[in-house]
Amino acid sequence: MNVHDLAERLVRRGLRFGADDVEIYVQTSRNLSVRVRNADIETIQEAASGGVGFRVLVNGSMGFSHCNDFNEKALDETMKKAIAFARLTTPDEFNALPGNLPHHDVEGLYDPSIAGIDTGKKIDMALELEELTMQDARVTHSSGASFGEWESEMVIANSHGLLKSYRSSSCSVGVSVVAQKGDQRNTGGRSTSRRFFADLEPLDEVAAEAAKRAWEMLDPQMVRTQRAPVIYDPRVARSLIGGIISAINGDRVNQGASFLQDSLNEPFASELLTIVDDATRARGLGSKPFDGEGMPAFKRTLVEQGVLKGFLHNTYSAKRAGTESTGNASRGGFTRLPGIGTHNLYAEPGQHTPEQIIANTQRGLLLTGVTGYGINAVNGNYSGGASGFWIENGQIAHPVQGLTIAGSARDILQGIDMMGNDVDMSLSFTAPTFRIREMQIGGA
Amino acid sequence: MSKHHDLARLMPRRKFLEMGLKGGMVIAVAPPLLSKMISCSGPVTAPALDMDKASLDRVISRALQHGGDFADVYLESRNSRQIIMEESMFKSGLYGISQGAGVRVIAGDKTGYAYTEDITEENLMRAADIASYVARSGKPIAPVNIAETKRDSFVSVVKPLEEIADSRRIGMMQRANQAALDYDPRIRMALIDYSDQVRSRVIANSEGLYLRDELPLIFFIVQTMSDDGSNRHMSRERISEHSGFELFEKETPESVARRAARESIAMLDAEDAPAGMMDVVMENGWGGVLIHEAVGHPLEADNIARGIGAFTGKVGQKVATDVFTMVDDGTLPNFRGTINFDDEGTQAQRNVLIEKGVLKGYMTDVLTGRQLDLPRTGNGRRESFRYIPIPRMTNTFIEPGKDRPEDILADTKKGIYVQSLSGGSVNSVTGMFNFTCREAYLIENGRKTRPIKGATLIGSCLGVIQSIDAVGNDLDFGPGICGKGQSAEVTAGQPTLRIRGINVGGSRA
Repeated sequence: MNVHDLAERLVRRGLRFGADDVEIYVQTSRNLSVRVRNADIETIQEAASGGVGFRVLVNGSMGFSHCNDFNEKALDETMKKAIAFARLTTPDEFNALPGNLPHHDVEGLYDPSIAGIDTGKKIDMALELEELTMQDARVTHSSGASFGEWESEMVIANSHGLLKSYRSSSCSVGVSVVAQKGDQRNTGGRSTSRRFFADLEPLDEVAAEAAKRAWEMLDPQMVRTQRAPVIYDPRVARSLIGGIISAINGDRVNQGASFLQDSLNEPFASELLTIVDDATRARGLGSKPFDGEGMPAFKRTLVEQGVLKGFLHNTYSAKRAGTESTGNASRGGFTRLPGIGTHNLYAEPGQHTPEQIIANTQRGLLLTGVTGYGINAVNGNYSGGASGFWIENGQIAHPVQGLTIAGSARDILQGIDMMGNDVDMSLSFTAPTFRIREMQIGGA
Repeated sequence: MSKHHDLARLMPRRKFLEMGLKGGMVIAVAPPLLSKMISCSGPVTAPALDMDKASLDRVISRALQHGGDFADVYLESRNSRQIIMEESMFKSGLYGISQGAGVRVIAGDKTGYAYTEDITEENLMRAADIASYVARSGKPIAPVNIAETKRDSFVSVVKPLEEIADSRRIGMMQRANQAALDYDPRIRMALIDYSDQVRSRVIANSEGLYLRDELPLIFFIVQTMSDDGSNRHMSRERISEHSGFELFEKETPESVARRAARESIAMLDAEDAPAGMMDVVMENGWGGVLIHEAVGHPLEADNIARGIGAFTGKVGQKVATDVFTMVDDGTLPNFRGTINFDDEGTQAQRNVLIEKGVLKGYMTDVLTGRQLDLPRTGNGRRESFRYIPIPRMTNTFIEPGKDRPEDILADTKKGIYVQSLSGGSVNSVTGMFNFTCREAYLIENGRKTRPIKGATLIGSCLGVIQSIDAVGNDLDFGPGICGKGQSAEVTAGQPTLRIRGINVGGSRA
């Protein structure tokens, strides 16, 4: 029996068991992961897996169950559990499954060649990447290199006649190393992930960046507690942009638990900030033809020159807000209910090179590492651990570690005063270098 | 440096690969075996873990067909449920069945692993073939035939979860929700998350071990959000144990909810936190997550075996102040981090990691025990059959000291009083850690005064344990989820303590 038939049959079965509406989500996947260290294999793991998620509505109430056993009896019993649960939960007029709207396919989500590439070659890539990275004399230890691949097929069917599926793949190779100098240790790592094996970045470039990240932070110096400009390197952009995304989550907005809930069509951020979510980019790691409940997924501007243009919705949150789903239902596999998430998210590039931004900063922090939770989406507080480089007279003076940065999200986002032109569009969550005019920095 | 390291080096990697490929073994296997997965069948009524010992013996022998030092088979079945209540509505009920089994081979420093979700001898044989790929050098190894093994249990159940009607679970959630909303009109919303599971495990290995048990687990989380028109605060309280439904007799849903609501209201008046180095007093309980992150993870033996961990080579050395003793103990009765035996079958035990400031040892699993020539400490844990075991904490805490908590506070002129934490993380190679305060106050002249907004605290693990200068007599614990590529249920505990000088991420000077 093929998976489409199975999904349709399970929808019919759910209706027969007494559900008013049924959604079946089937996912099967295969993965291989190889980890090497000190020029030898450390671990090899491989598996194929799959399962079914059942979402049912009974008198407006919702139940969900999942099972990784494809035995007919197991599937039936799991379905009945979902229906029994739905009889216990509270009826909610906004519970609904989407209708069967047409979607456009996205080019390049699945590389059929990955599985056929010799495993020896994949192990070799990880070994070569480690070897290249360790060639840098400033690197003293390897934490290991790895190769991973993943491919999956998902099928969604529901009782509104929806039946959709697609296949996707991804692969990655990465390395992590240590630079030790006396009692000091610093780690550096870099990886490259793509949908297609042939698109992985050249190993020598990945290696050079990983090595540099390890040694460039040695011999840090402390700076005093002060207010100063902070330049966000692209690798830490998520700590700020992620807070915006969390705050425009439709469920959170509906619950009155977002610092941006009343900011629709208002300029809450600097006009240098434009954020776009694009599900349609060919070969994009976050691309998909439809979202986690089968709604077509699009390209959409979320923030335009600092003005909030819209929230992120799935079918439930949209109905409750009195609007249409934006195709942002996320799905963490067959064991999870739909949530809300983005596809390929990027901040639009600006005018300046990163070098120009640094040169224009008399004294301040170039931030390359952050720790902590980022922006608190409920109240907009922001506080985190910080590391990077101290800038004096428009030039990098020395590395800094063990600092803190903090402020209110609105002040920080309004304070973006330079936007870089260096956005890496191969990532699914990305922004160029940008500068905040002034933040509180905690140090000695 | 690991003791098997030099052996592994002797074989150049090219040679290794050649041997592997000439052996006819291609591990990147078939594309998703959809049709096969769907047609596979076994009677659902037969408990998936009932595989007989002779079959398991055959699988372990097959896993060591090309040599190797150790092999094990792990069978798992998990029934889980979760009920979510938000805004006074039961939004969803989730029920899940998950089962599978994995075969692992250790050969020197190498690990091979494969798993299947359809537990048959045939599939396990195939997994054994894949896992054995890492052991190609030696001749077949004869494992010891498995036999029932005895282990002490630290988990007792009075009211088994399987016998509890869902309506009773819902009843507990309703009680928590009502108590939160009744606490204060400024509590705008409560989010109640009830989950429980029963995880059944079978572990068999080439040393002849065979174990089977069942671990129940309840996790009850109450979050409350306050809103007074100008400020908002979301707080969270959790209880969790490996136990039956009697957990709610030890602590009522109302008391969990009121604790969360109290914090939500108290923090409405929070003002900006100061930035920079200052003294911190941490209240007893879940604040132990500081030590879990800052010291616990770096004492897990995997990065020690790799020779890159922050505490590498420091056993026997004075690494902390005299008042500091730290323990990981997987035997505390019914605690969330308690496991009876770890996921490799090693008996859980009390491990003193740092005693009066002196580093005593690391937390190991089978692999790192072999690599470092250390005993197994019962810390080899795995999220599920989809993961290999790695060294993890269980219940980790600082032993109580002599100071009275009120004296520690009174003796602190100026600083921050941290009452609850959201969580944190650490880089266990550099030892840099961070954690985020949820409820915190200024200390002025030895008194807790105004509440301050959630600030990040950061420091280095070797620095922080040399700066703890007062430890209270009031040890308490909190339950948590620990992530390290895979998740594990843990508790963290500590008495009230003081850290002299830690960097606080406030938004004002």
